[in-house]
Amino acid sequence: MTSSFLSIRNLKKSYGEVVAVDDVSLEIPRGEFLTFLGPSGSGKSTTLYAVAGFDEITSGDILLEDRSILGVPPNRRNIGMVFQRYTLFPHLSVAENVAFPLRVRGQDRTTVKKRVDEMLSLVRLSNFADRMPAQLSGGQQQRVALARALAYDPPVLLMDEPLSALDKKLRDEIQIEIRRIHQETGVTILYVTHDQEEALRLSDRIAVFNHGRIEQIGTGEDLYTKPATRFVAEFIGDSNFLDVASVADQSNGRACATLPDGTVLDGLSTHHVTRHSGRFELMVRPQWLAVAKEGSDGIRITVKDVTYLGDSSSALLETGWGQAIWLKGPAATLRGLTAGQTIMVGWDFAKSELFEI
Amino acid sequence: MLLNYNQLGRLKYVLLGITGVICLFLLLPVIFIILLSFGSSQWMIFPPPGWTLRWYVELFADPRWFEAAFTSFKLGLMVTVLSVILGFFASYALIRGRFAGRGFLRALFMTPMVMPVVVVAVALYAMFLRVGLSGTWLGFVIAHTILAFPFAVIAISNSLERFDKAIEDAAILCGASHLEAIWRITLPSIRLGLLSAALFSFLASWDEVVVAIFMASPTLQTLPVRIWGALRQDLTPVIAAASSLLVILTLVLMTIAASLQKVLNR
Repeated sequence: MTSSFLSIRNLKKSYGEVVAVDDVSLEIPRGEFLTFLGPSGSGKSTTLYAVAGFDEITSGDILLEDRSILGVPPNRRNIGMVFQRYTLFPHLSVAENVAFPLRVRGQDRTTVKKRVDEMLSLVRLSNFADRMPAQLSGGQQQRVALARALAYDPPVLLMDEPLSALDKKLRDEIQIEIRRIHQETGVTILYVTHDQEEALRLSDRIAVFNHGRIEQIGTGEDLYTKPATRFVAEFIGDSNFLDVASVADQSNGRACATLPDGTVLDGLSTHHVTRHSGRFELMVRPQWLAVAKEGSDGIRITVKDVTYLGDSSSALLETGWGQAIWLKGPAATLRGLTAGQTIMVGWDFAKSELFEI
Repeated sequence: MLLNYNQLGRLKYVLLGITGVICLFLLLPVIFIILLSFGSSQWMIFPPPGWTLRWYVELFADPRWFEAAFTSFKLGLMVTVLSVILGFFASYALIRGRFAGRGFLRALFMTPMVMPVVVVAVALYAMFLRVGLSGTWLGFVIAHTILAFPFAVIAISNSLERFDKAIEDAAILCGASHLEAIWRITLPSIRLGLLSAALFSFLASWDEVVVAIFMASPTLQTLPVRIWGALRQDLTPVIAAASSLLVILTLVLMTIAASLQKVLNR
């Protein structure tokens, strides 16, 4: 097997009857920022905690530089972690918090002092060295936690939804900090979040978790433009899923679908059709939809509602068979639409993906 | 706020009055005993016909009183140490442990607090007679530790519950062993809980009289037992003086605890 930096092989974790992580395998190169994205209970945090070593795993293996770390207790794994909740040691100052892992490692006073200064300037909190954790904002506390987790130069840094307790504006700010720190230190980061925007912003690659399995792993662009499953298509970006009455094959791996109102759409992508169930849905991103001229290719819809959102507008539409779908576009192009109007909307069918349900 | 004190109008004075009466009701016996301890009447007549320090002089002149006070203090310290250590282990298991019967165990730990003290006293006395612990230091310490233990468990459990386990996990990932994490992070973080556990444990032993009467021997007497004994022999104002000192030490301890909490809370 090729040797990647960190590899998770056939990881399985069950709690009694409940399978939390089901056969997850990942190969992570050195220096990568990999995000585990998924809804709560999808197994992303459990996978992260397995790397941290707090829970015995049911089966599988985790290797760091080709050596299994399963037998290594968490305090000897030398892994850094930033938690979802605030975990600064409440009775120690900011500097003492960052110094803690170094003191535990028995480093001498001057080395510790130098490293603490370096770390605090990395997270831009040098002036806060003598503060107590209770005197810091949530964002500052997480930055100190980050400094503490990086102080001992861990090969891998785990982050378990570190920003979920912060408000939106602060989150954006700290995301930029995390990106910068990742670039400056080159540390390999495994990052857990349920926020797709955060995942897209931060990561080199994203692994989408669902029901304890990885649905797809790839760059944000891969996931958005070539979703492997309906779940990924729904989770990354907004999507409409049109009902499909029947599908007929074409040559060159494309298909033609008939919608419930009899409209026939040609040249659809069928990467993910196995024809087991024979029931399909067609994914259309709200941004792809545009008002089309009468008589052109597309579907006939009724406008239900138009919402102005500043840069863009969104419209709630209803298809001929009563399905609600969204359209999103620049405010100017939607200005003419009014509720009750019947119009044609079209899009680039080649982008549209058929999913089996 | 549902009831705003500043908007109560004239009701405010009624409220103040009721508060005053309640405070007086609670404090009166203490004030009464302190006044009597300075009164010149041998029969503890109130109001005292004159004032004197005689009873205090007599109190300090009698080595038996000092001995009893010292016994109480030593006993209290031993009980405190034992109760806090056991209380921490028990609380750690109750809060962090995941095992069947935790709820039952927790209720069991509370029983010495809800059981009538006399029942506990008689039961312990009967058992200690059999195993030869009655009238010994060890028996005394065990008996009072049983009474103090629930207070320690309550105080320490509460502070452990509020202390996020993730903080301990963070210390472990930082490279500390589990024991090291508990010693260097968990214990200092819950020091307020430990302090109040220690204080309540000490007081549970310091002013306890019922169990102490059963545990005591002629050579091993705590201050409350000595007061009780003296009361039954002769009603001298020396008892009032001893009681006053007991009350004052308790007050001093409470004040120290309160100000320590303020300092540590900063």
